Amino acid sequence: MRESLSDRGWITPYFRLYSGRFALYLILGVLTLLTASMLMFTSGYLITKSSTMPYNILLVYVPIVGVRAFGIGRSVIHYVERLVGHDAVLRILSRMRVRLYRVLEPQALFIRSRYRTGDILGALADDIEQLQNVYIRTVFPSLVSIVLYAVVVVALGVFDVTFALLAALYILILVVVLPYISLKLTQRTNAEVKRDRNGLYQQLTDAVMGISDWVISGRHHDFLDEYEQAEAAVARKEYKLHVWSRWRGLISQLVVGLAAVAMIYWSSGQSSAGHIDPTLIAAFVLVVFPLADAFLPVSDAIERIPEYRESLERLTRMEGQGETSGDSNSAAGGASGTLVAGVPSAIADYAHLQLDQVKFAYGEDGAGAGANSVDGVSLDIPQGSRIAIIGRSGAGKSTLLKLIQGALAPTEGSVMINGRAAADYGDDIPKLISVLNQSPHLFDTTVANNILLGRPEASEEEILRAAEQARMGELIASLPEGLNTPMRETGQRFSGGERQRIALARVLLQNTPVLILDEPTVGLDPRTERALLSTIFQATAGKSLIWVTHHLVGAEQMDEIIFMEHGRIIMRGTHAELMEREPRYRNLYRLDRPEV
Amino acid sequence: MGKGLMKFKGIKPVLCLMAGLTFIQTIAIILQAKWLAEAVSALFAGAKLQEQAGTVGLFLFAFTVRQLCALVEQKLAFRFAERTGSALREQVLSKLFELGPRFAGREGTGNLVTLILEGVAKFRKYLELFLPRMLGTGLTPVLILAYVFTLDVTSGIILIVTMPILIIFMILIGLAARKQMDRQWESYRMLSNHFVDSLRGLETLKFLGRSKTHIESIDGVSNSYRSATMRTLRVAFLSSFALDFFTMLSVASVAVSLGLRLIDGRMTLLTGLTVLILAPEYFLPVRMVGADYHATLDGKEAGEAMESIIREAEQEFAKAAEVPADADFSWNRESKLALHSVGMKYEEAGRASLEDVSLTFSGVRKIGIIGESGAGKSTLIDVLGGFLRPTSGTFELNGCTLGDLSASGWRDLITYIPQKPYIFSSSLADNIRFNRPEASMEDVAKAADAAGLGGLIAELPLGLEEPIGGGGRPLSGGQEQRVALARALLSERPVILLDEPTAHLDIETEYELKETMLPLFAHKLVILATHRLHWMQEMDQVIVMDQGRVVEYGTPEQLLKDQGAYYHLMVSQQEGIS
Repeated sequence: MRESLSDRGWITPYFRLYSGRFALYLILGVLTLLTASMLMFTSGYLITKSSTMPYNILLVYVPIVGVRAFGIGRSVIHYVERLVGHDAVLRILSRMRVRLYRVLEPQALFIRSRYRTGDILGALADDIEQLQNVYIRTVFPSLVSIVLYAVVVVALGVFDVTFALLAALYILILVVVLPYISLKLTQRTNAEVKRDRNGLYQQLTDAVMGISDWVISGRHHDFLDEYEQAEAAVARKEYKLHVWSRWRGLISQLVVGLAAVAMIYWSSGQSSAGHIDPTLIAAFVLVVFPLADAFLPVSDAIERIPEYRESLERLTRMEGQGETSGDSNSAAGGASGTLVAGVPSAIADYAHLQLDQVKFAYGEDGAGAGANSVDGVSLDIPQGSRIAIIGRSGAGKSTLLKLIQGALAPTEGSVMINGRAAADYGDDIPKLISVLNQSPHLFDTTVANNILLGRPEASEEEILRAAEQARMGELIASLPEGLNTPMRETGQRFSGGERQRIALARVLLQNTPVLILDEPTVGLDPRTERALLSTIFQATAGKSLIWVTHHLVGAEQMDEIIFMEHGRIIMRGTHAELMEREPRYRNLYRLDRPEV
Repeated sequence: MGKGLMKFKGIKPVLCLMAGLTFIQTIAIILQAKWLAEAVSALFAGAKLQEQAGTVGLFLFAFTVRQLCALVEQKLAFRFAERTGSALREQVLSKLFELGPRFAGREGTGNLVTLILEGVAKFRKYLELFLPRMLGTGLTPVLILAYVFTLDVTSGIILIVTMPILIIFMILIGLAARKQMDRQWESYRMLSNHFVDSLRGLETLKFLGRSKTHIESIDGVSNSYRSATMRTLRVAFLSSFALDFFTMLSVASVAVSLGLRLIDGRMTLLTGLTVLILAPEYFLPVRMVGADYHATLDGKEAGEAMESIIREAEQEFAKAAEVPADADFSWNRESKLALHSVGMKYEEAGRASLEDVSLTFSGVRKIGIIGESGAGKSTLIDVLGGFLRPTSGTFELNGCTLGDLSASGWRDLITYIPQKPYIFSSSLADNIRFNRPEASMEDVAKAADAAGLGGLIAELPLGLEEPIGGGGRPLSGGQEQRVALARALLSERPVILLDEPTAHLDIETEYELKETMLPLFAHKLVILATHRLHWMQEMDQVIVMDQGRVVEYGTPEQLLKDQGAYYHLMVSQQEGIS
């Protein structure tokens, strides 16, 4: 398993891993097609033999049984074949999911900032689903037809080598020549259609997301014209593809027709030469059509290959990124393997954070390369101390938080927790520091299970206590099944304030000495904001708080307020000090609390 | 199935043509079988190959005709599907703009985009497959069966009996599969969502220290998902198994019964062979329907979903009030807009989002709308913007009565800045001149400057030509608001509506944005809804809303003095957090 995981490909390693199942599938797939062919073969033989009016029915007893057996056998085998194939593919998908998760896990804290646009995680999950078509639609049908190809040619070779070679040539057209031409001809247009369709997707998203602007500007007719033109351009390309696929169908069918004629000539020739019994002529001719059914779909299967490219490339790129980013930016990647000696599994309820002249710059590939994202920040946060951090987007707040969590190691200066570098704690950090951010993810399970994630071994009483501390009483009472009510996807059933309370209960259950609040009240109305903050402040008495905030409501409760700009601290002090000293602070504070 | 098909434009000639082709095709299938059987039985009887060349040639001819018919039929179906699909898309898109942002918000952007892009593709596939399949199953088996009856009654009976059995079994198994799916739907949904749910929650798991142990959960759930899927597939595949089974069994029975009668000498080999060759052809159309069943079903559903959008838009459109010919759509210092007991109820029985709102706006001034969440601020802005048709009440614009504000004349007067303005994936300049694409670069730069974008533009490598939006340079929330502001300024429209423009921004950005905005609001009618009270001090008039009603309307100074709802809102924010 280890070995297969380090393999770069996303398709081939699984052949080796599931060779048994693949072989079984192949055998069944070939048998399905063979039984269908044998049904027509024996039927043809049966009625020709019967027409010679044998004196005893027992003479055609074997073909009669054969016809029935093949008739029933084909459907049964086909049924089993499909199940075996799907089972194998689902097993592969299961492994791929674990593999993708392992790739993403070390970069967890950086995915959001690295891929700002679009739903990269959703796309990756879809990619894996897409890869099942590689096997079911492309690999399996192609392999089956190739094996059958060999079987047919060898079988004919038993009778007549020359004709076997001729048949080989016919089938080659269906299995190799047409698919190859098809792929070459359509590859470019297919790629263009795909790219154009992505463009349409963007155009449409712009239209729907910006619909109020379109409506108000009165320009939506412009949009419709432009969009329909783009659609028409794609339609022209699709038509081109369709024309080819129609002609390809016709050509393959004509090949089959000619093969049938060749078969008529060959079998009658063989029979008049006395090489085969005349009763077999019909059998040989009739078998051509069901056999052709095995070879006709190959072109389609091969033409699909470019469809998978994008998914494969994205997955491979992700995997590559996981490996390189581990060394340069994220410190956790390097430290995760080495569990630090001397950190007890149940960590003390005490943490003293000290940041001394911390500087951090992202590597050359990051935005704003060269400039320090955090530039000489010093903080001392003894246990129980509460600080607020405020600053515009891009001021370095997020980077500072990642430094404190040890996810990044400072380029200069030091970030220490209890005298040890934060980055050295690796995967033990969540025992010291918990995080409540703007949009904590609530999983698609029950409310109780979501809270339980904070500490899976917690008792029911502890869950209830955490819920109580988060003041969820009213909320729980309103739920049909109390804490056992399912969340539904992304917790749409709950309002923003309620979702934060559930996440708060989870964090409280995690019970760490330090809590990072990363703008947890963005998007909440003032009343909800104040109520939530008041709950948080009360429930976290004794804990250290590092609170990144966009408003100043509640700032008077903090031991220190820090203003950041361009990675530096430009103002710091208690609320009272800042109110007295800084006119700028007074102006801002008035926004949150206009004077009556 | 397919009753609604006949309403599509131009379907009748297409169907007639295709029916003709299917007919010719079926005749070709029958002749192809007949000539093949003739050649083979003659050869079996010892005829010379050369003598049979004519018959073999005829077989090849019939075979080719059959394939050519199929090709032309495919082309017709594809063309028709493409035409109908794009007509439907055009209709849906234009209706979408009529329904506006409220509808788009309710249905979800992703759903709508997917419906229009993929739904139309599916719908086209449906038409493309369904038309030939429908004709094929309607014509081909009947004709083949009729021919088989003229040759051999027993085989005809076997074939005719199999068909209903096959169809009944397919339906029964289909129903059983559906029932099983429904039964385990909830757990199935949870299992299938688990992976993407885990990926989206990866950051949270990391914070909780659970991200490593979660691997086991992914592995476990993936495997349960596989077992659940396999359980379903075991039943679902049964329906194609039934199709296969009865077809093959029927062909086998025909073959055996032919054989038995040939032994007795009651039949010629020619007849027997012809029937045997035709037996699989008899079932072929039904088998193709079975194979394409899911694709057609998906497409049909997508088509229906789009039809329902069109219907909804038409219903909405029927509600639209007529615009009087003498309506005066202009706004200046003397203009007046009055709302007379305007009400809005989303659901018949539900609570009213707006109730009995009567207000008068006149001239150029700044008006603030304040209230708690759910008080009806956004609904009122949407009604004023013409995105929403009120369920009761009327408007009076410059002395002329209007049923709603969705007339394009009113829309030409307003600009609208929402909480998160949408940034189009285009250049910064294009985003700014969105309402006035003909604006000169100079005017664009002036508007950008006034909106405080000068600093940003100086930093951008391409300046105003820098691509922003999806795929372009990401902007911060404050910068996005400034782009929207520049857009509003450049359009030079006299009315600006703002819905919660600064609540999500950090306080410094909010402060600066407010400083930029206030002077730009002069000489316009500005209506700003927010729950950030500080804005109210700069407003000429304040509307206080509560549960859909206007509870106070006046100057901020007056309202403070009155010590009513506004005063209490202000006081409540003075209290500290305990």
